[in-house]
Amino acid sequence: MKKFKGVSPLFWIGVGYLVLLVIFAIIGPTFRHPYDVGLSTPLRTPDAMFWLGTDELGRDIFARLAYGARISLTIGLIVQAIAVSVGIVVGIVSVYGPRWISSPVQRFTDGMFAFPDLLLAIMIVGVFQMGVGPVIMGLAFTAWPPMARLVKNQVATLKDREFVVAAQAMGANTPYLVFKHILPHLWGVLFAVMMVDVAATILAESTLSFLGIGVRPPEPSWGQMIQVGNSLKVSAPLMLLWPCLILSMTIFALNFVGDGLRAIVEPKKNQSI
Amino acid sequence: MTETVSSPSDSAGRAKFWSFARPVLLRILYGLVSLLFISFITFVADEIAPGDAATIRAGEKATPATVQRLREEMGLNRPWPIRYVEFLGNASRLEFGNSTQGTEQPIKDTLAKALPVTMSIAAFSIALATFFGILFGMTAAIRENKGADRAILSFSTLGVTIPNYVLLPILVLLFSPLYLDMLPTSYEPPDRQVASGILYILIPVVVLSLRPMATLTRLMRASMIETLKQEFVRLAVAKGVSPRRLYWTHCFRNALIPVLTAIGTSFGYLLTGSFVVESAYLVPGIGKTAIEAITQRDTPMILASTFVTGLLFIVVNLAVDILIPIIDPRVRESQV
Repeated sequence: MKKFKGVSPLFWIGVGYLVLLVIFAIIGPTFRHPYDVGLSTPLRTPDAMFWLGTDELGRDIFARLAYGARISLTIGLIVQAIAVSVGIVVGIVSVYGPRWISSPVQRFTDGMFAFPDLLLAIMIVGVFQMGVGPVIMGLAFTAWPPMARLVKNQVATLKDREFVVAAQAMGANTPYLVFKHILPHLWGVLFAVMMVDVAATILAESTLSFLGIGVRPPEPSWGQMIQVGNSLKVSAPLMLLWPCLILSMTIFALNFVGDGLRAIVEPKKNQSI
Repeated sequence: MTETVSSPSDSAGRAKFWSFARPVLLRILYGLVSLLFISFITFVADEIAPGDAATIRAGEKATPATVQRLREEMGLNRPWPIRYVEFLGNASRLEFGNSTQGTEQPIKDTLAKALPVTMSIAAFSIALATFFGILFGMTAAIRENKGADRAILSFSTLGVTIPNYVLLPILVLLFSPLYLDMLPTSYEPPDRQVASGILYILIPVVVLSLRPMATLTRLMRASMIETLKQEFVRLAVAKGVSPRRLYWTHCFRNALIPVLTAIGTSFGYLLTGSFVVESAYLVPGIGKTAIEAITQRDTPMILASTFVTGLLFIVVNLAVDILIPIIDPRVRESQV
């Protein structure tokens, strides 16, 4: 617990918000099913029955936001889980692998950086039909290269540290070295980076849904709600406000938590931007 | 540089020319490889995806035989590597065939109409982002850890975090006839504009510029703070150079290089952003065209817009890479 001393209060605000968001995502949709059309008149303003009002089809915005939170968080976590797994394998292979495999793998990773990743994701999701599956696939395909680069750099530094060299001198083979000596040092940094990257993934997912090529309606997603809100902003500005608010707050919270974790894991690098 | 080329007998001059040209040629090569890579990925993704242009064109009620006939007519029955090579051959001449949707316009014409719109908005945004990014970055670095610095840093955090599809509707609403009544609520083509043309792209330009502006501000600040720690600054201070001259003449050029490199990368964000902003503000640029192509599953159009966006991105980055050694003699020397 000593480590957590001096961590910025923003970190704790972020953690608190995220806990609330997860609870919201789990129990929120059960209040009222988000697909239900015609529960009420369309475009109602908030009242005791519909806490955040209703949308253009008379659906409860509160329930839809909660269901959107569920979808966003799920996509964010799955994509990052894939990205981290691929990143670890690729990163370790490009340091420890034989040349004939590490060299093409590294070239491929470099190639992935040659183009803005969201643009590539738009194209990939675009050619497949929309839906949660293609979104996860497209975003995971563009999310692993930074992870792979991070793992590679970390492993390359760890490789020459005394304890690794010592273990090697005592006859440890490469898999043993990687699993027992290298990977345990990586989890902290990877977890911190993952938090920030989950935010990036959620933003990317919302962008895709905003563009109408992400999560397929009637499944709600924040990006899609912003899109509808955008088209109705003059008559129902509140419909635009809620998803924008929850999305921005989530992004901020994830960034605060990521930065806070980074400061805990790498105290020395705290000052860098 | 021209004199050295005109006297090829001069071997020193020739060596100098090559020392400059080789990295440039290498970068062009690298750019071409990236372009191949991107078009390949989109092409393969399109192959893996269920259905193709023929199924879409035949409609939902078509029999398999009709689809097959259409496929043969459109040349889709040949193996994909052959079609990919064919696509590359055509694309290198900027020929992309016809759209499979609507009136089946030649894609070249559609892109030729969309490209200038996107480019003008992108150019204005980059100019705005660079100007204010450098100005804010310099100010923040000079007043490091003071009020102005903190304010600029918080602003740039906001700029990086708030997505443009959140910001754009809010700005549109704010300036719409409902509240301030100053700007149009969506783009109109030049022949339908009732006000000065610049007003119609003002919101997209500002929204698009914010993210690159924030990135450039942070970079300029960091780079300037690094520069201010260098030896020559202490020497200049000791010589009695005025602060203004020190910051804007001695340090400015030194601190500028990483920022210039970032302009190239920022252009990528800008292109991505233009997909969102153009769709939301109804600007008929490359982004909106591409998204429409995607929702209609207009494959040749998707491939063409990927290719052209990729080309744009690579050309801009290439230009930046070529400019840097011209501006910074240290980079020029290190390349020899």
